[in-house]
This record gives sequence, structure tokens and C-alpha cells, in this order.
Amino acid sequence: MNGNGSADINITSKRTRTLVLTGLLFAVAIVVALLEGMLPPIPVPVPGVKVGLSNIVVMYTVFFLGAKQAYGISVLKALFVLITRGAIAGALSLAGGVLSITVMLIVIGFSKNKASYAMTSISGAISHNIGQFIVISLIYTGTNMWFYLPLLVIAGVITGLLTAGILKVILPAVNKLVK
Amino acid sequence: MKFIKRTDFIIIAVILLASIVSIGVYTLVTKDSPVYAEIYLESELMMTIDLSEGIDRHFSLEERPAVIFHQTADGTIRFEESDCPDKVCINAGALSIPGQFAACLPNGVILKIVSKDADADSPDMVIGN
Repeated sequence: MNGNGSADINITSKRTRTLVLTGLLFAVAIVVALLEGMLPPIPVPVPGVKVGLSNIVVMYTVFFLGAKQAYGISVLKALFVLITRGAIAGALSLAGGVLSITVMLIVIGFSKNKASYAMTSISGAISHNIGQFIVISLIYTGTNMWFYLPLLVIAGVITGLLTAGILKVILPAVNKLVK
Repeated sequence: MKFIKRTDFIIIAVILLASIVSIGVYTLVTKDSPVYAEIYLESELMMTIDLSEGIDRHFSLEERPAVIFHQTADGTIRFEESDCPDKVCINAGALSIPGQFAACLPNGVILKIVSKDADADSPDMVIGN
């Protein structure tokens, strides 16, 4: 009986821990996205390219918490963007976020956890860009994507490497906090 | 989980190479095709400009006098000035290749380049128009 009781407490405390951590990560994702919004836009000839720093948070969630939590954060973040920056920005955030998490999960699953941080991050970044671009071309111009597609892929490689690098650097500090 | 694996470099190199090659091919293929610039306001087509006419001028839409376009003699067009806060439209630079576009979302203005024979070779359509 005693043993069972402590097991229950362990499970409950683990759930609480995940819940609290997910909430914290969501808060961090929003703050990071806001901070990034304050930086001057990158002067590149592709509309709306950003480093996507909050993808660091989403990546951490995918790696260490799970799919459910990652989708949760991404949908909540899209809602936040919807409230603060309007319907189109919200749709962009949702499309990019959901597609990138899905692709990262596929990459992790298919490689049986052997894909590197960098590769997972790059595939997430590329699919994030493509998801957003599909929405842009649907809503705004109906333009063909062929000119921008390769540029978005290159941008994804660069930003993916960058975010994976940052995650790698801050990971020890985060782990110290979490454990 | 490793940060980066040796095979990753190969994959990254292939992806980058494929992207650069496809940009090159696309630019070459569309280089000599005559193009139009289309200017939309709130998804409504306001102006169609033949970029091959070789004139250099500045102009703006009546409804958005603060947004100034610059068409050049060598067949490009760009957002020259705008009263929007983020200047994403101006950063997009000069456009001349079919498929390129620049948007000033705060003003609801979209500038896109279309091929003259767009109907024939691409499944272009404007949704909600």
C-alpha cells in the first residue's frame, strides 16, 4: 500500500511538473517572439523572413516534453498572435508552427531518435517557412511559389542551424533549472 | 542525441545546392519573358503595368498617396516609399521576375510580377478576388 501511494504521488508530481513546465515554456515562447518583433527586420528580398527564435522553445518542447505539449504551445501562441496582431498573422503562426512540429516529429520518428539536433531543427525551420508561405500565397496573391521556394529552403537551413546552436548552448543551463 | 552528424553536412550541402541550382534555372528560364506588374489594393486589382515599356517613373495609387512605386527603364518595379512602420515592402527591393511579390500589409497593397502568358503556363489564381 505504501509503495503504491508513493508511486501515485510520483506520477502526480510528474504530471504537475510537465504542466508547469509547459506553461512556463509557453510564456517564454511569447516573450521571445515579442523580443524578436522589436528587432529591426532583416533586410532580405523575401517578404517576412525572421529567425524564428521562439522555435527554440518549441524544439525544446518537442525533444523533452512531447508532441501534445508542443502542439499545445504552438496553438496557444497562434491564439496570442491572433489577439495581438490580427487574423492573418495568427493564421501564419498556426500554419508554420503546426507544420514544423509535425515535420520534426516525423524526422525524429523515422530516424528512430537518431537525427541530430541540427537536422531536426533545419527540417522544422524549412517546413515552418513553407507552411507560412502557403498561407501567404493563399490569402494574398495566389502567386506561384517557385521563385521563393528555394530561398525559403536556404533561409530555413540558416535559421535552423542558428536555433539548434542556441538550444545547444542554453541546454545545460535549462536542464539545471528543470531538474 | 548528437548536435550534428557527419552525414548532415552532406544533406545540407545537397539541399543548398539544389536550391541554388533551381533559383538559377528559374531565373534563366524566365529571364527573357515579358512581364507585367500588378498592383492590388485590399485584394482588388488596381493597376497592371507593362514593365517592358522601358520608362522610368514614380507613381502611387490614388487611394494610398503615401505608398510610392518606382518603375525603372530596365524593367523592374519596387516600393520606393511607404508610411508603414515595418518597411517590409521596401526591403523586398526591386522586382522583375515572374512570381516575385512584395506586400505592404499595413496599407493593404500588394505588388506582384506576372508573366504575360501567365494563363498558359502557370496555375495562377487570385483567391477571394
